[in-house]
Amino acid sequence: MKPAPFGYERPRDLQAALAVLAEADASVKIIAGGQSLGPMLNLRLVEPELLIDIAGLAELKQVERQGDELVLGACVTHADIEDGRIPDVTRGAMQGVAGNIAYRAVRNRGTIGGSLSHADPAADWVSALSALGAKLTLRSLAGSRIVAMEDFIVGALESALRAGEIVKTVHVPAMPASAHWGYVKSCRKTGEFAHAIGAVMIDPSAATARIVIGAIDSAPIVMTDAAELFGGRVAGDYKDRFDSRVAEAILARAGVSDAAHRHIHVNVLKRAVREAAA
Amino acid sequence: MSMIELTVNQRAVQAVAEPRTNLADFVRDKLDLTGTHLGCEHGVCGACTVLLDGVPARSCITYAVACEGAEVTTIEGLDEDAVTSELRAAFTREHALQCGYCTPGMLVSARDLVLRLPEADERAIRVGLSGNLCRCTGYVGIVRAVQSVIEARRARDIAPEPGGERKILGPVGSGRTVRTGADKAERISPASSKQASTEALSSVDAFPDFTPAAVLTQQFSVAHSPEQVFAMFGDIAAVASCLPGASLTAPPNPERVEGAIRVRLGPIAATFSGLARVERNAADMSGRIVGIGNDQRSRSSTQGEIRYRLVPIEQGAATRVDLSIGYTLTGMLAQVGRPGLVRDLAARLIAEFAANLDRRLSGTSPAAPADLSGMSLVSGLLRARITRWFTRFSSRKDGAA
Repeated sequence: MKPAPFGYERPRDLQAALAVLAEADASVKIIAGGQSLGPMLNLRLVEPELLIDIAGLAELKQVERQGDELVLGACVTHADIEDGRIPDVTRGAMQGVAGNIAYRAVRNRGTIGGSLSHADPAADWVSALSALGAKLTLRSLAGSRIVAMEDFIVGALESALRAGEIVKTVHVPAMPASAHWGYVKSCRKTGEFAHAIGAVMIDPSAATARIVIGAIDSAPIVMTDAAELFGGRVAGDYKDRFDSRVAEAILARAGVSDAAHRHIHVNVLKRAVREAAA
Repeated sequence: MSMIELTVNQRAVQAVAEPRTNLADFVRDKLDLTGTHLGCEHGVCGACTVLLDGVPARSCITYAVACEGAEVTTIEGLDEDAVTSELRAAFTREHALQCGYCTPGMLVSARDLVLRLPEADERAIRVGLSGNLCRCTGYVGIVRAVQSVIEARRARDIAPEPGGERKILGPVGSGRTVRTGADKAERISPASSKQASTEALSSVDAFPDFTPAAVLTQQFSVAHSPEQVFAMFGDIAAVASCLPGASLTAPPNPERVEGAIRVRLGPIAATFSGLARVERNAADMSGRIVGIGNDQRSRSSTQGEIRYRLVPIEQGAATRVDLSIGYTLTGMLAQVGRPGLVRDLAARLIAEFAANLDRRLSGTSPAAPADLSGMSLVSGLLRARITRWFTRFSSRKDGAA
């Protein structure tokens, strides 16, 4: 399939991109690497009048460490992270996630900001960055605001982005040395969208656990204090205290009504917990 | 149309192309480099994989206009490449191709693996080739061929390069030009979705019976008696005003409701125009709305029915509305193929409808959402009020979400 005709603009800087976006109506789409939007355009599921290409903007490809967090421009690619071309504050967690997104040819163009903006519940960064406690800077002509990952995704393909706004940077907090990380996804075929994602960051010494159950067809379930999954407290024996029944009940409450799907989600999460403990 | 300048197989080229022309069509149609193959055209099969700024990329979902100034290497440009030459010999030796359609993309991906993988690990090779589909060989010969080349090169002390040849950040192929591209002349008005008419459907007199391809059930409650709710459900214009994105295009009667509903799922927007018929059964406070409609822009059609039953709760002071929504979708939009996303959309639509219904029954006018974009109304408060969301989803296809 070929896309329906669209116009194309490649603004010279972010300010110009935001200006085009602000004057435009709803049938304008921002495109970065285009690895999610491209298929939708080709299948004519999306027929914008105009694409605004931000993939070349140097302002969106900067990466710097600011205090205790790493600030990544939205147009950093999955392969940039996979290959370690940027610094890491997550003790390898982001590198591991990046290396298993889709396929290498896709990772060479697909961007972290684009993936988040697309807000596909089955996308890796949606779940992984929620578990890592990341925040996003959203930018429009009017200014910028910061939104926590868990507030950014509001539903299937729906984010908190307002008209005229784009994801500018991703702020990833440094992972404490005492934290344990686990990330597991279930895909029918390697590289396909996940059917279940479990992302966990557990710090037994601080008695904290951030847990995400992702790829549930709506916004992921983000538990910033997931003690209830471990019988009420997070300690060194959390692997043995993980309570599948609690996870099952949480999924049922979230509307995952198919028992088989819940079973897959619970087991993927259990594996993520085990991976963290390993 | 715009002039696109880039480097293909170390030769500077320029050609005029539309913004929608993908890089694969650009090299095939403008430069006669037909070694790049197109299979699925949505980034899944890998047949179109080329080197963009030295590393693999999908040329079917990369638009040529976005590659201004980039260096493209197609399979034709790898004739003299050392790694590819070794791979060609290995592919021949291991019978790693039959029809050859996947081979150009397969060689580009294999070359990348040979450069990057530290050792000839079979699993890593298989994972690395998972984005290149071959329907002939069963992959065994391909994997062996790649393994043998990696082994041979590592034995010759050629070290892997973890990042390929990439040193800079950002999408490959982009940011290589200082020229900003503006193609305002190309701005095309979208197909006439705004004045979508029901003409095509005006000859429809009977609603054919149908078996929905997908059924989902939902329920919500409102703090008004079943009698009040049932009476309001009889007021078609009132119901339509509560349904986000819905509009009536003619005065309704139960036998014939003409209207449209605009729905949006992320970047996917559709306006279904069509007809509906309303059936009501006062005895058990139930009803059925059956309709058909189409979205001209995506040339998609849908046929659907909503069955409802009103159940008194709280001693008749409030009502639980049990809904069963069945639909069949055909055309472009049916390609979404992710029924779970439709369920999430339906849940949000119903949540908004329930809130509007409640407001209307309480005497306040519904908020006027332009379409179902919105989570604005679906606050935590509202979610709490919608009791026991439970949804069951079944699909004839595979039952999977």
